[in-house]
Amino acid sequence: MIKPQKIFIIAIVIGLVLLSGCTAPPEEEEETTGFGELRFGYQPSTHQIAYMTADAKGWWLEDLESYGVTSTKDFLFPTGSPEMKAMLAGEIDVAYVGATPPLSAIDQGLDAKIVAGAQVQGSDLVLATALPYESPQDLKGLKIATFPPGTLQDTVLRKWLMDNDIDPKEDLTILGMGGADAKTALASGNVDAVFLPHPSPTIIESEGTGRVIVQSGEMWEDHACCVVLVTDALIRDHPELVEQIVRTHIRATEYNIEHPEEAAQIFADDIGVSYEIANKSIHDWDGTWVTDPSIELNTTLEYASVQYDLGYTDKLLTQDDLFDLSFYNKIMAEMVEE
Amino acid sequence: MDRGQGTKKRTLELASIATAIVIWEIVARIIDIKYILPSFTSVVSAFIGLVQDGELYRDIMTSLNYFVLGIGLAILVGIPIGTMMGWFKSIDRAVDPIIEMIRPIPPLAWIPFAILWFGLNKYAAGFVIFVGAVFPILINTYTGFKNTPKVLVESGKVLGCVKNKDIILRIALPSALPSIATGIRVGMGVGWMCVVAAEIFGVSTYGIGRKIWFWNDLHHMDMVLTYMLVLGMIALIIDRAFRYLVQVWWLKWQSGVVV
Repeated sequence: MIKPQKIFIIAIVIGLVLLSGCTAPPEEEEETTGFGELRFGYQPSTHQIAYMTADAKGWWLEDLESYGVTSTKDFLFPTGSPEMKAMLAGEIDVAYVGATPPLSAIDQGLDAKIVAGAQVQGSDLVLATALPYESPQDLKGLKIATFPPGTLQDTVLRKWLMDNDIDPKEDLTILGMGGADAKTALASGNVDAVFLPHPSPTIIESEGTGRVIVQSGEMWEDHACCVVLVTDALIRDHPELVEQIVRTHIRATEYNIEHPEEAAQIFADDIGVSYEIANKSIHDWDGTWVTDPSIELNTTLEYASVQYDLGYTDKLLTQDDLFDLSFYNKIMAEMVEE
Repeated sequence: MDRGQGTKKRTLELASIATAIVIWEIVARIIDIKYILPSFTSVVSAFIGLVQDGELYRDIMTSLNYFVLGIGLAILVGIPIGTMMGWFKSIDRAVDPIIEMIRPIPPLAWIPFAILWFGLNKYAAGFVIFVGAVFPILINTYTGFKNTPKVLVESGKVLGCVKNKDIILRIALPSALPSIATGIRVGMGVGWMCVVAAEIFGVSTYGIGRKIWFWNDLHHMDMVLTYMLVLGMIALIIDRAFRYLVQVWWLKWQSGVVV
């Protein structure tokens, strides 16, 4: 007779095996000619409306179906850092992301390339309403919240402070946090200023807790902001699919430029802010939606240099490490021929 | 235990650690993706760099500052409330439902209120650590007092110790001390775990937990692992130091009792 203890142990082992999925049937393999599900990452910012527009209008699936894409799935990230962590883990194929989070990720081994631009400038330094401001020197001793280290906002802010003879480590305190936390911290008086992408500055101004004192274009003219990043595996194994992703991105961006009010509505519906805020943000910001990755090339390489100097990356990244301009250039060459 | 046995035990412990390190290094080299599993050698190299530029010292002192604040407050609050709950039934009935309702709330959930009540400063971080540490201290104090042997109380009364205050201080408290020590030990463990959570929300640019998030944002997993190991090593040192203090001083009269 089997002892109860043995039965108990066997039951636990069977339970663990079932839980671990060892007995689960193998997942259906993708058709050899198809791609399956394409996974996107993006952030709740007006910088990346091109993704939302293509998604809302069903263009991603419509345009990519003939390349074997059976469905698309998206993941919303608060900042670029967790988005890059997801890409490192192989959870997303295409990322709408700031130009700087890919730098440290690529430095640490992420195989991915920037294939298109998405937007330049578009972040604002917002100071608490009660505090005076005449020059950058007035920021000394203050607490400024921005996105975490390695993000575009963190890099642009630190460079601008250094350009103005302010030591970002000694003269003031920069606190890295998500956009929602930064807005709460400003509203509750726990930080004195925030440096955030749109629409956050418009939301803060509408709530009366802060005022825009410097736009990021004044800090660094035409600085690169968001880009479209694609994994090397996708580029290597499905180049025609990547080319179509760039084409669809161009289509959505051009549509947004021609129909900013509708773009604001799409953004409002996707993220859950009011249409008025979204529309005001698009009118007030100093950002521009772009598609040409070469527009963002020089400042991205400057970011790479700044991040290397700050010790954020182990090596100085080059254009070959970061960009693949071939898809965009091919599309443009075809358009010129037509 | 004779000297030979002690040496054998140490050798076994060192061999176990050395084996784990060798396996770690081999697995890391086989995987060969530094952000998935940094190698032991890369972690050692990161550790040496942090020690050399003095950054690690500043991070450790910052975290210990929050920890002492949180644990100190947890002891000051947990022991008196636990004592009263354990000794007075009416207080137990009145306070227990509140404690049991608040106790299961994870310290992380208190972060928004920590910021709103205290601001982005060390008190907010200390508060999150306090929330993690206070309940083990309180519950163990309560249990210690509740389980005071009746025979001790009655013997005390026979010998003239009749006032409530005297019974608590001279009979129940010494009897509950092993349980209180266990509570503080568990509380310190939980509190130290809360250091990482307490430093997420940007109370400072220094601190072990802060640096774990900082380097995580930059995907430098060797640095993340270095700070994680430092966190673990300090926890071990705190625990061993506390156990030593308890054994040689606090519960010296109870030699042989393992706490």
